[in-house]
Amino acid sequence: MEKKRTNFGEFIKGFIRVNPLLVLMVGLCSALAISTRVESCIFMGLAVIFVLTCSNVIISLIRKLIPDQIRIPIYIVVIASFVTIVDLTLKTMPAIYERLGVWIPLIVVNCIILARAEGYASDARVSHAFMDGLGIGLGYTCVLLIMSVFRELFGTGEIVMFNTTIVSLGSKSMPTILILFPGAFITFAMLLALLQWHQQRKKPEAKEGPE
Amino acid sequence: MMKSLLNLGSRLMLVCLVAAVGLGFTYSLVEENIAEQELKKRAEAATVVLEPIGATPQESPELTAELQGDFPDLISVFEGMDEDGEVIGYAFVLKSKGYNFITMAVGVDAEGKVTGIEVITNEETPGLGAPAAENPDFLGQFTGKGPEPLVLKQDIDGVTSATYTSRGITNGVNMALEMWESLQ
Repeated sequence: MEKKRTNFGEFIKGFIRVNPLLVLMVGLCSALAISTRVESCIFMGLAVIFVLTCSNVIISLIRKLIPDQIRIPIYIVVIASFVTIVDLTLKTMPAIYERLGVWIPLIVVNCIILARAEGYASDARVSHAFMDGLGIGLGYTCVLLIMSVFRELFGTGEIVMFNTTIVSLGSKSMPTILILFPGAFITFAMLLALLQWHQQRKKPEAKEGPE
Repeated sequence: MMKSLLNLGSRLMLVCLVAAVGLGFTYSLVEENIAEQELKKRAEAATVVLEPIGATPQESPELTAELQGDFPDLISVFEGMDEDGEVIGYAFVLKSKGYNFITMAVGVDAEGKVTGIEVITNEETPGLGAPAAENPDFLGQFTGKGPEPLVLKQDIDGVTSATYTSRGITNGVNMALEMWESLQ
């Protein structure tokens, strides 16, 4: 049964039910690579929210004017334009721009955004598309933040934002592996396990379908 | 067939046109700020390479314009001043071709000796060329050499597995030395 779409429902679903990272599992590459520092995650999250929301709205606005055969090139042009806007804006902040490096231009090919454009915004009302972009973007950012807080805090022993130490564990011998790539996979796997465990516990016998 | 092609093409063009206008507008807003940031980066690098002779860099648009005619890869020239305002060296910010482009600052003192090199950005292959372009042992070899053009493998030991990068940086330094020569 398809539930009726409401603005709030479209917004809230991005956090858990269709969380891009934990449920749809798209856009993992940048998330795994960037979640070593909380600070970069905030900017990456903002960039993704902006691009996702804007491209969702534009694509939803012009969805009836786009012939099917050329929809992908048009999506790419729209998405790439917004990414370039973000890229140019961030260039005025060199410290952050250098840290985010290649991941900002790579938002163009981030599957989350194309997936939402193709799978959602191309046949949704503008208000729904807007809420969807915002919700999915925030869902992405939340997961990034959870991962990066965990990795930075336990990988380096402190969280540094804008050159000031926010939290410090006061220890120098931390498991550096958390900051490295294996740490990204381990952290992500633990989050996934946690979500699965939570969902299984919530409805123990609701699932009667084939296992 | 022809009609549908035109239809598709014109719609795509319309979208691209709107996107281009939007981007142009954004660029015009941030252009100045970006240029400022780049100047800051250049000035920082020039300060680093002129530090060994204790000179303060000052960007010289006239010299830059003059030299750019012969050296199109030059980005900017800084004059290194001592306390009395005498020019005792130059810092050349230029791009040189390794495997890809390397932007670097080369400091040259009054005798035409290299005072230091600072790689500002390099687009070399990560893991191969990029570490070589930042290798202090390699870059340190240039200090004190000149004003004759340097030859790789004779004056300078290249970095194994990064031939193009080593060549690119050596060429960049030679370009700076040539420019210094033409300023005399």
